Amino acid sequence: MPNDSSAIETHGITRDFDSRKGFLFREVTHTEALKGIDLTVERGAIFGLLGPNGAGKTTLTKILSTLLLPTQGQAFVLGHDVVRDADWLRPRMGLVLGGERGLYTRISARENLRYFADLYGIPRTDRERRIDEVLARVDLEEAADRRVEEYSRGMKQKLHLARGILHRPQILFLDEPTIGLDPKSARETRKLVRSLVADGVTIFLTTHYMFEAEELCPKLAVLSKGRIVAQDTVANLRHLVGGDRTLDVEAYGFDDRELDSLRHLPGVSRFLTEEFGPVSRVTLRMRTDELRVDQVHAALPNHPELMVRERRTSMEDVYLDLVEEEAR
Amino acid sequence: MATATVQYSRARSTYAALRLSVLQFLADPQWLVPSMIAPVVFALVSFELFRGAGPYFLTYAILGAGMMSMWGQTLYGSGWATGMDREFGTLEPTIQAPTPYLYVVVGRVLWNVISGLIGGGIVYVVIVIVAGGPPAVPNPVGFALLFVFVMVTLASVGVIFAAFYVYTRYAGFIQNIGEFAFYIGTGCMFPVVLLPFVTNPVSLAFPPTWGLDALRYLSIPGYQGFGWGFWGDLAGAVATTVVYLSVAGLVFQRVERHVLEEGNLSEY
Repeated sequence: MPNDSSAIETHGITRDFDSRKGFLFREVTHTEALKGIDLTVERGAIFGLLGPNGAGKTTLTKILSTLLLPTQGQAFVLGHDVVRDADWLRPRMGLVLGGERGLYTRISARENLRYFADLYGIPRTDRERRIDEVLARVDLEEAADRRVEEYSRGMKQKLHLARGILHRPQILFLDEPTIGLDPKSARETRKLVRSLVADGVTIFLTTHYMFEAEELCPKLAVLSKGRIVAQDTVANLRHLVGGDRTLDVEAYGFDDRELDSLRHLPGVSRFLTEEFGPVSRVTLRMRTDELRVDQVHAALPNHPELMVRERRTSMEDVYLDLVEEEAR
Repeated sequence: MATATVQYSRARSTYAALRLSVLQFLADPQWLVPSMIAPVVFALVSFELFRGAGPYFLTYAILGAGMMSMWGQTLYGSGWATGMDREFGTLEPTIQAPTPYLYVVVGRVLWNVISGLIGGGIVYVVIVIVAGGPPAVPNPVGFALLFVFVMVTLASVGVIFAAFYVYTRYAGFIQNIGEFAFYIGTGCMFPVVLLPFVTNPVSLAFPPTWGLDALRYLSIPGYQGFGWGFWGDLAGAVATTVVYLSVAGLVFQRVERHVLEEGNLSEY
């Protein structure tokens, strides 16, 4: 049974797909898109799901929003089983898949919203006011009566959002809501997402953008190749990949002895090497403040070109570390 | 923004789908061709072909031509609209809405019936003008009522056909292959009794077959259709239509379950 305080709870969700090619000689390709997803999302919060293309983010979103059945496992949204109680859940959840598709382009934004307002049973007396309200919220009031085919990508994305919140859902699934948006529109979208949470809506957000996840999501999960490789607060995830502080050390190549000395510097909890043409970069992750930049210079006396940069461990670092670790 | 739980209404959802169909029709004038212009062209060609064949045969020919066009509009229009939902990517949000998709399809079918009737009305007016008077129909009121009912029989099949468009993106391809077989098999082009006897059971599984035969009994004196006559045809049309409409809910439930298992709602 699901926990009452959870907005989402999944137990061992798997999802397989068979794709078929060819007409006479059918070639079937079997894909395991999700491999046992266990996830818990608290009510009234933003939960971020990070993952590379093909990780299974959209598949999981569709299962949670009742558009896809899991192959195995159970998922509960607002305490209800997404398979058995889909009829109960659908009026209470919003889904924004975004993109160029998913809208009736030959009619206006207002007419699109009227249609979905009717399908969701929004009271007739309230319908027009509610449509005006969401159009204002996504800043589409002036373009409301224009055909959607005349809209830019960003305007369509806003209309997707407007449709998603029109019926005042208790939980909103946003699948990469800012993809393809210009920075200003993306910032407005994030602002809108925050305001929805302030209104008590639980948000389940998938994104590619690390800064977006960091900015919006107190808790997040990293999905890679159909598995959750980590699920925690941003701070704890940083800790998981070695700490809050990162030092990038760059030079024209390091020998094994030098690499070994960097690895054993005090406080280093994680050590990564990368090559960029002639330049080698060593990334040192630290949980404590004990290692200083001048100690790194002292450890590498034969590199006058040495560059050491200290920064806060970014979500991108966390994400790449986790995904790469899973790939290995 | 306080969250709210809303309760959909089937009638309102059906009306919303009908309204959306009207808006899309008005937004795209190309639909005038299959729904309004094509029936007139078919009817005029029939009129020229059978001009000297006597008043009732003329009715017969016009009826066949007109019905063929309206059959296409009513039956395929609904399925096609669902196919467009797939292509536009609107099938997913529509299925995700609380209203069962069946009621959206019913709304679309209703619009197609209405536009089919408008097309039929235009055919009638054009023929009256060209022929210099209305075609001979022994019982015009009965004919008009039965005509509307035949549209309902078409709509009942249209609802089931639309389910195939939800089921698979290949529905349009299959329908294109079967289109003319259906025209012939249900007696749109000529009476089903002219077909080999072994094909009759298949034809009789479709409500329009019964309805069209009844329509010919009513409008063409001396017409020799199925042996059970007008009332037998009418009873068969009512019974098969009721069966189609009754199973529609179950068919859509099964189809929806299938597409959620397959995960092919966004494929087109």
